[in-house]
Amino acid sequence: MNLKRVSVLFRKELLQGPKNFMFVYAFVMPVVISLVVSLVFGTLFDDQASLGIVDEGDSQLVPLLMASPSLESREYGGTDELIDAVTEGAVDGGLVLAADFDNSVLQGERAQVPVYIWGESLAKHRTTISVTLSNSIRELSGQESPIDLQQVTLGDEKNIPWNDRLLPFIVLMIVVIAGLALPGTSLLAEKEKKTVDALVTTPATVGEVYLAKGLLGVVVGMIMGVIILVINQALGSQPGLLMLMMFLGSAMAAGIGLLAASLAKDLTSFFATMKVMGLLLYAPAIVYMFPSIPQWIGQIFPTYYIVNPIVEISQRGGGWPEIALDTFILIGLNVALVALIAFTVSKKRQYAL
Amino acid sequence: MNWRTVRALVFKDLTLFFRNRFFAVMAVLSLVMFSLIYFVMPSSVDETLKLGLYAPTVPPALELMQETDLGLEFEQFESEEALKDAVTGGGVLAGLVLPADFIEKLELSQSPQITVYFASELPEEVREIVNTLITEMAYLQTGQPLNVDLRFETLGPDMAGAQIPQRDRMRSLFAVFVLMTETFGLAALISEEVERRTAQALLATPMRIRELFTAKAIVGVLLAFSQVLLLMVVVGGMSTQPVIIAIALLLGAVLVTGVGFLIASLGKDFMSVAAWGTPSMIVLSIPAFGVMVPGALSDWVKAIPSYYLTDTVYQVSNFGAGWGDTWSNLLILAGFNVVILMAGVLALRRKFR
Repeated sequence: MNLKRVSVLFRKELLQGPKNFMFVYAFVMPVVISLVVSLVFGTLFDDQASLGIVDEGDSQLVPLLMASPSLESREYGGTDELIDAVTEGAVDGGLVLAADFDNSVLQGERAQVPVYIWGESLAKHRTTISVTLSNSIRELSGQESPIDLQQVTLGDEKNIPWNDRLLPFIVLMIVVIAGLALPGTSLLAEKEKKTVDALVTTPATVGEVYLAKGLLGVVVGMIMGVIILVINQALGSQPGLLMLMMFLGSAMAAGIGLLAASLAKDLTSFFATMKVMGLLLYAPAIVYMFPSIPQWIGQIFPTYYIVNPIVEISQRGGGWPEIALDTFILIGLNVALVALIAFTVSKKRQYAL
Repeated sequence: MNWRTVRALVFKDLTLFFRNRFFAVMAVLSLVMFSLIYFVMPSSVDETLKLGLYAPTVPPALELMQETDLGLEFEQFESEEALKDAVTGGGVLAGLVLPADFIEKLELSQSPQITVYFASELPEEVREIVNTLITEMAYLQTGQPLNVDLRFETLGPDMAGAQIPQRDRMRSLFAVFVLMTETFGLAALISEEVERRTAQALLATPMRIRELFTAKAIVGVLLAFSQVLLLMVVVGGMSTQPVIIAIALLLGAVLVTGVGFLIASLGKDFMSVAAWGTPSMIVLSIPAFGVMVPGALSDWVKAIPSYYLTDTVYQVSNFGAGWGDTWSNLLILAGFNVVILMAGVLALRRKFR
């Protein structure tokens, strides 16, 4: 293995890479998908009632409603705008407060307040709006709660918001797109154009060609991984450890990509294989998304050892002691993968290159 | 127009399509996958806040709230232990323990203590809703009416108690995805023919370019329409107004065939077809995401042709909309089809020359 030749080949990959669609795809798609997934699924699984408010005066009810954790409240400029928002379902309910609302409440006059409800709003959201409004108005009028509430929390499991649950899926997606597809498609494109045959007639060895292509996937995978973690505010307090895990994860993905590309006949069969394998690759992230599924199932899949340490560091504030075992398993899997690639290439050399 | 030639070309293209492993796998896989996703998702919407209760005497205010509020459900338990088990097991959202002298203490203005059990994973906003509900119940029990008249007005069809499950909202998204998957196949097929010059060879025969395009359009529409129709039958999208849905899907198939022509005119190989196809797929699926997340998109979404397909499928399959509600959508979609198909044919014609 000549490192100088590997660096020359790697430079060639870096220079030629941007001409390949997959290279651009590896940079653009993770950002687009991360934003779309956060927006769509973050909103889709957000089971909270929302209330639009039009305040024609300067009511003190508005800050009370805004501060209430039961509701997601936002202000609108006018009644027509509010009615449009409610009709489209942008908010579950809409409240119009007259200019003298506070005075009426404080003077004990019976005020009439229109509340618009979206027809498709869930019954529990309507209940939430109704009781939160009533409670806030009582608070505004100075009524004191007639009861003493004592809260008791049972169990020690924590609530995981959907944006956090989706993080492993997004991270795996980056690793698969950049780490797996980039070296795989690069190798197959060269196989199809027969340029790799010319390459191995030079002093460059098959191992060096594979290493250079794998490195490209690792570098792009790491860069994109860090960008996505920054976008999702999940860099945590151990960025060094996260970088190590992204490196090892991208290396595993690059290994899988190169192995699949060695065995595939052409790009279409490579993508067909990847589509089928996708479920296996993403399985740990899917298991993590649904805490009701026994979490040990995720450990069966190799990509679990990429995802779990990243989640441990970025979401649970873990450090080296918590991720050490997973890291060693991941290193072991990577070594086994390299051995498998070497074996496959030596056995199928005439087909692989 | 020589229809025998067209028929021969259609058979040839269909054979080539299914001979391509990637597209054959994708065609079957997407149908199976979307059907699976549909049936795995909940078939009903849980729109109630279900609370557990242990109380020697149930306060009349609580009974009244349950009777009048669709979004509220109380389940009584024999003991405090059974209530706690239900809370930790997730059977109820929270558990309320009312003391035996609850009503008496309220009447004497002595602030009775209510214990509320929460599971640890319950989000803060839900705890706040439960606390607000209990406080409101206590206000009602003490006979302190709200000094404000909240006038609720429902905008749009009132779906309380008959909500549309998320899986049914997703039908139009599935339809767009399946239609677009077929477009990839058609575009790859055409671009390959152009690049390998088999199309030029075909044009050297008595066959005219008009017949070639007709055959390609028939193949595109046939592949897209048959699959999306099958999917809609499987997921129950054809149960109301099947003729309108079938026409909308047929127009959708024509639309994606036009898009396929445009992609084929831009692409040179599978990779570039994927490069142009993916953004097209994202753009065309935006209106379907709008159906899943109401209010997230504004009126600009109507500039995307697939809006008229998704809106028709959504309105007809979920609200039983008829011809009177959908004719304008179908007409606009047909108009878009004419423009896009003509643009596609013109672009391809230039490429063939």
